Formats: sequence, C-alpha cells, structure tokens
Amino acid sequence: MNSFDRRRDFLKTAGLAAGGAALVLPALASPEDMRAALTKITGGADVRRGRVKLQLPPLVENGNSVEFSVTVDSPMTETDYVKAIHVFTEKNPQPYVINAYLGPRAGRARITSRTRLADTQTVHAVAELSNGTFWTDSVSVVVTLSACIGDLI
Amino acid sequence: METINMNRRSFLVTSAAAGGGLVLGLQIPFGMTTAQAAETVPEINAWVVIKADDSVVIRVARSEMGQGTITGLAQLVVEELECDWSKVSTEYPTPGENLKRNRVWQSFSTGGSRGIRTSHDYVRRGGAAARMMLLQAAADQWKVPVNQLSVSRGVITHGASGRKVTYGKVAAAAAKLTPPDAKAIKLKDPKKWKVAGKPMKRFGTVDKVTGRQVYGADLKLPGMVNATIMECPVFGGKLKAFDAAKVSGMKGVKQVLRVGDTAVAVVADTWWHAKKALDGLPVDWDYGDNVKVSSASIADVLKAGLDAPQAFVGNKTGDVQSALKGAAKTVDAVYSYPYQNHAPMEPMNATARYTPDKCEVWVPTQDGESSFAAVLAASGLPADKCEVYKIDLGGGFGRRGAFQDYVKQAVLIAKQMPGTPVKLLWTREEDMRQGRYHPVMQCKLTGSLDSANNLTGLHMRLSGQSILASVRPAVVEKAGGKDPLTFQGVAQSGEHSIGYSFPNLLIDHAMRNPHVPPGFWRGVNINQNAIFIECFMDELAHAAGQDPLEFRRKFMADHPRNLGVLNAVAKGIGWTKPAPKGRYRGLAQMKAFDSFVAAACEISVDSTGNKVKIHRIVAATDPGYAVNPAQIERQIAGSFVYGLSALFMQECTVKDGRIEQDNFHTYNSMRIAQMPRVESIIMPTGGKVWGGIGEPTICVAAPAVLNAYFKATGKRIRTVPLKNHGIELV
Repeated sequence: MNSFDRRRDFLKTAGLAAGGAALVLPALASPEDMRAALTKITGGADVRRGRVKLQLPPLVENGNSVEFSVTVDSPMTETDYVKAIHVFTEKNPQPYVINAYLGPRAGRARITSRTRLADTQTVHAVAELSNGTFWTDSVSVVVTLSACIGDLI
Repeated sequence: METINMNRRSFLVTSAAAGGGLVLGLQIPFGMTTAQAAETVPEINAWVVIKADDSVVIRVARSEMGQGTITGLAQLVVEELECDWSKVSTEYPTPGENLKRNRVWQSFSTGGSRGIRTSHDYVRRGGAAARMMLLQAAADQWKVPVNQLSVSRGVITHGASGRKVTYGKVAAAAAKLTPPDAKAIKLKDPKKWKVAGKPMKRFGTVDKVTGRQVYGADLKLPGMVNATIMECPVFGGKLKAFDAAKVSGMKGVKQVLRVGDTAVAVVADTWWHAKKALDGLPVDWDYGDNVKVSSASIADVLKAGLDAPQAFVGNKTGDVQSALKGAAKTVDAVYSYPYQNHAPMEPMNATARYTPDKCEVWVPTQDGESSFAAVLAASGLPADKCEVYKIDLGGGFGRRGAFQDYVKQAVLIAKQMPGTPVKLLWTREEDMRQGRYHPVMQCKLTGSLDSANNLTGLHMRLSGQSILASVRPAVVEKAGGKDPLTFQGVAQSGEHSIGYSFPNLLIDHAMRNPHVPPGFWRGVNINQNAIFIECFMDELAHAAGQDPLEFRRKFMADHPRNLGVLNAVAKGIGWTKPAPKGRYRGLAQMKAFDSFVAAACEISVDSTGNKVKIHRIVAATDPGYAVNPAQIERQIAGSFVYGLSALFMQECTVKDGRIEQDNFHTYNSMRIAQMPRVESIIMPTGGKVWGGIGEPTICVAAPAVLNAYFKATGKRIRTVPLKNHGIELV
C-alpha cells in the first residue's frame, strides 16, 4: 500500500522526536496549537496508527469546501464502540475541524462533512474508543494554488 | 559502468513508464511508485525523453495558451541538456501521472505570469541532470573518464580518441544510471546561453495557422455526444424547474439534464442541435435577491466606501493626514474601473467520459492539477480512477485556471450518461454571462503640495471588490480581513511594490463585495491601480506645473529598475524633443509580477476629441532574464491589444443581477487596423529574481494613453472604457 512506507518513516521520525514513545501525532503536528488541541482531547494518552480511515482527495481545487469522511473499524456494540471522532488540521487558522461524539446506538462509526483548507497540509483524524484508546489516520492534501496568487499563500 | 542501488531496483520493478527510465525527482526525489514505463523509449528523467533516432521530447507541465511558455521552458531544458534544438518536441505530462510520481513536475498552474519565472531553476536542473547521465553512459561505454568528454547538439565526443556517439545511442544506458544530486548541479551562467535567450520560433505555429491544431472545442471522440449548458444568469440564483418535454422531440436531442443546483444542459448528437433545444427550453429560475442589483447600485456602494472610516491599510509611510492639513494646495480626483470579462476566443469547454471505474477529461486548462481536483470532486472517484488530458488553450487570460466550473459541469453531465463521451461547449453568450470578472474598483486620490509645489503627501483610497474574499477566503482570513492582492502595483514590498518613495503615503482599501463573481483577469489588480496612480501622478505634476517625467523621477531614486524602464521609454519616444505637430505624448510605469515595465505613447485626437489615433507606443520591460526575446516582444505587443481593447471598449454592466453583454457586438475588441506600432525595449538586468512577461505590460497601456489624451485635449478621463465618453480608437 502506498502510504505504508510513509507511515513507517513517519513512525521512525515520530519515535525520534517523541523520545521513542508511541505518541505519534504530536510529533508530526508542526503548529503548536494543533498539538495543544490534540492534547486537550487525549489528555496526553498515546495515539496509535490504525483502525481509522480518513478519506480526503489528494488534490483539491481551492480548499474552500472539501468533503471528507472518517471511518473507524469498530463493531459499535455496547462494550466496544467509538466514543468520538476528531479531525484536526495543521495549517488552518483553527486546528479543530470537527468533534463528533458517538455511542453504540450510532450504529456505524462513520462521519462525513466538509471543511475549508487554508493551504496544502496534512489533515488528521483521531478516534477515541470506549476502551480509552486513541487511534489515528492522516492524509496529505494539495490545495492547487491557481492563477495569480502564488506568493500570498 | 553503472551504479545500481536498491532504490533504483525497486523503481525498475514497480515502474512501467518509459523504458526502465529513471525519474529524477529534483526537489522531490524518488516519489514514484507506480510510474508506467515503456520498454523502447528511454525516459532519462521526468523532463527528458530521448529516442533512438536522437529525437528529444521535453515534458512541460505548464500550459500553452499562445504566450509561448512551452517554447521558453523547452529552451531552458535544452540549454542545459545540450541536445539538438531542431530535434526537440514537447509533451504535457498528465496531472494523474504527476500525482502518482509524487508531483515530480511540481505545479501545473499557468497564471500570474509564473510559467517560466517559478520553474526555470528546476527545469534547467532537469536538463543538466539528463546531460550528465548521458555523458556518463558514453564514458561507461568507452571506459574513459567522463571529464574527457564534450557534447554539442546531442553528439558526445571523446577528444583524445576522436570517438563520437549521439544521445540516442546511449539514452537507454543513461536511463539506468543513478541521477546526480540535482541541487548540487552548477547551472550555466545565462551570459553563456546558446539556446535560451535566443529568439527561437514558437512550437506549434504551423499547426495553428494551418488549422491542424486540435483545440478543446474541436475535439471529437468515437461515440461522442455534444452538450451545451445554461447556468442561472443571476449569480447566486438557482434552477427551479424546466420543461424537457417541450424540446426532447427536437432533432438530435438525447437528454435534458439538471446540472447541480444552478444549471440545465441539453445533450444532442450535434452541438447545434443541443444549442437550438436549449434556446427553446422553458426554464424556471429562482433568481434570489441579487436580481435587484444593478451597475448603479453597485457604484453607490463603492462610492460610500471612498469616505468610509474603516479601511485596510496596504501601504503606509509617514503621516498623510498631517501632510494634507499643512498643504498649500491639495489635488483630488475620483477614478473608477468596471467589470470586464476574459472573453477568450474559445469559449469554456471540456470533454468527459465517465464510468464507475474511470473518469477521463480532456480540457484546455491553465492548471491541469486544478482540473484534476475538480474531476475528483465532481466524479466522486478516487484519484487512481481519474485522469485529465490537457489541450492547448484557445485563450485563457485567467479564466481557465482558478475556476474549473466548466470541468465540473462536464463531469456531472457525463456521470448521467455513463460510458458516453460528452463534449460540453459553452455558447458565446454563456461565456459572457458566466465569467469570473475583473473586479470593480473606485479610487479617491488626494495629494498635497507645499508652497514650492513639492508633493508632501498622497492618500489613495480604494473602494471595491476583493477577488480573494470570493476565491480564496482563507488568504483574506489569514491577513485579518485584508486582501493583500488589492494593492498589486502599489504594495509596500514584494513582486508588486510601488515604484515611488513619497514622504507621506497612505494606500488603503474599503472592501465592498458585490455579488458578481470576480476573477483573475490578465494582470489582475495592476490594471486599475496603474490607471489610478499613474494618471494621478500626471494630475499632480500638472498641478505643480512640472513635467510629468521630471515629476516622477523625483520619487524614484530608490527604484532604479523602475527608473530604468521609464528612462528607456522616454528616450525611445523622444520625450525631451517636441512631438511632431498634432501629436501628444503620455507615459506610465509599474512593477508587476517582478518585472519592471513602462510605456510611452504618441497619439493624435481629432477636432471633436472623439477619435484617437495611437501612432507609436514605446514599451520597455526589465524581466531580469529574457529567455526568448522574440516571444517577449510578441507578448508586449499582445498586451497592448488586450490593454487598449479594455481601455476603449470593454465593460460588463449589471442589470437585474446579471451581466448585460452577451457577445462581441456588445463586448468588443480592437481590430488590426487600430493597432499602433509597438516598439519594444527588452532590457533584462539579471539578479536573483526572475520576472514575468504575460501580464505586466497591459497595465501601462491605459494610463499612458489617458495621459496623452489630457495633453491633447486638456480633459481628464477618470472612468473607463472610453466608449462611454464617445471616444473611439481609430
């Protein structure tokens, strides 16, 4: 799979940056406010790759309204379900895109929405499971910077 | 001897593209995982393919729309590659391939006069890397050190033994070598250029003049059907209903389709049948509140902004208010600039074929990647099931880059007819009604002079529409609500910085955004800002009783390149000598897209003041580097076609929320008999920054002529186009 190598590199880098801990996401999250936003959600708990699938086009025209979906591999039963799905961006003025709270009666662990993307950047989805673990996926998106505004972005 | 590393091996295994070729990632090395490789045509790297017969294909990501960028970029690659120019052709890589190969060709965006100036470095490195690999392959074959080899026009020579081999013979071996570190390559000094910097003929001219060139509008695919569309003519309105039964029996009609929330399309066997049916289709629109908007109501809103207390500051020096208070004399004027349409000769079009497994689009586009993104969004398919094939444009001017509405429409129609290729071609009327228009702007300028007639302060208040607030609101948000692009040509710094240093200066913008969708119209905001500042400089010079050239020079000591081009046109037109009897002169200068431009013109006006003849225009450009002086010269001349057409003839007016002009009879363009002689002075002065060519010169056309018109008649014209004043170009 295409993203596998990148993920491995990512884990390696993240490992170095985070002193070998499994705290994957903050190591990549360049802007401080996104790191802070994530910590607020996780309370500093480990965030692991897997179980979450963030779907977002690799190229978007202008970023003004970008459709995305987050699907979590979960049976959504009374004892094993997704409590919340959070989406963050690195370069938007606000790191938060959405905090969606789910329960077993949601039936499916999937959300779709639209967001504005201020620039070419990586978007992260984090799922909080009923067992207290956090899982993540991320996608790099190119906002094609058309026409006459290249150096303003 | 070749060196093989694991990276390359794994690439060879997974690649399918051009013959065991290497992808030279340059700034983004080795992104390829799924590149396709043919077995017979060695791709030396992403930019260069060399065939056994020594023919060379240069891959260029930017789009050709008559500006000559393909030729210029190929010259830069060939300069470093050292192949035979007569054996060179070019091709577009696809956006899908770019994505698969980790964007090895980088941006496809062809706007902002950026084609050459933002990619010259990496394309030259691509050419140089390929040359080094080809030489190494020959050295390996002959078992001699590579530094004993020389190359000229694609023939490698080993001086000591007299052996020779052509690029085509070593291309396959070269393609297997490890590419050098692109960043470490030392590029040629432009002073030593042999192909770049020379007036090479443009590629594709024969095809264009003989009609062989296939434009998007000409495209025919097997089994293709034709569509035309109408979107709600009132911007922001919606499609309520249409009576398909009324036209579905008309000749050739296949489908009458809703396209999104705002448009209806007819699909037929021929385009004409589709158009006739659409003309006869009863459509019910929900126009919304915008139906109340007119040019007059928009002008009122802008006028109020001229004195509004709140405005975004774009450029500020000293204290203008104090300067104005202490003035011996103040001068003020209000200017305005209208909506204008790009109106390329070829209306918007795209051809799409959709199946659930593949969506392909053929489109003339200024940004293949933007088109690709639009295809992804409209088709809902993943990137590996989509592809865009670029076609040369029959004009772009900024309409076909940031806006991919017609691509989305084509896909949405094709999606409703899976498996059938659909060519969507807009009518001229649709193209006029659904533009992304040059924004409207008014400007109030106030200047203060002291008792010795020295300019002590200048306030330039812009009031009008922001392009970015509509197109890229994220940029405006980042700038705290300000649109930095509004200040093009009069900005504090950057590629559009002002060419004067005034003791006290304030340039601010009261943002007023009507509902008409704005866009990047060739030159963008320099067009109005050049009129505002350069005509007002003449007004100030007149009020101060000084020569307009001398008056300008006082503020240009710190702007040597602006001054350089201004002096060049003054000399060229003979400013210090009297004009021939009955002729009058005007000039203007500006820095735009990192180039410095100036124009001086000589006009005569008939006794009624209504007929203007432009006898000469002298235009100077300092773009830093001149990759193809012949193309630059043509771009400069073409800029006057565009700039003078806009000045004399072009305005889109708004009535009942929609654009009134619907074809060239109401939105005209100048004719060849009206075209003045253009004498261009290309004066590159080097430096680190390369300037653009396609747009800068347009903005100096209007103020130079308006200033000359004042000289001739004593009348200041502060609103354009001149047709509204009964003035025509003869």
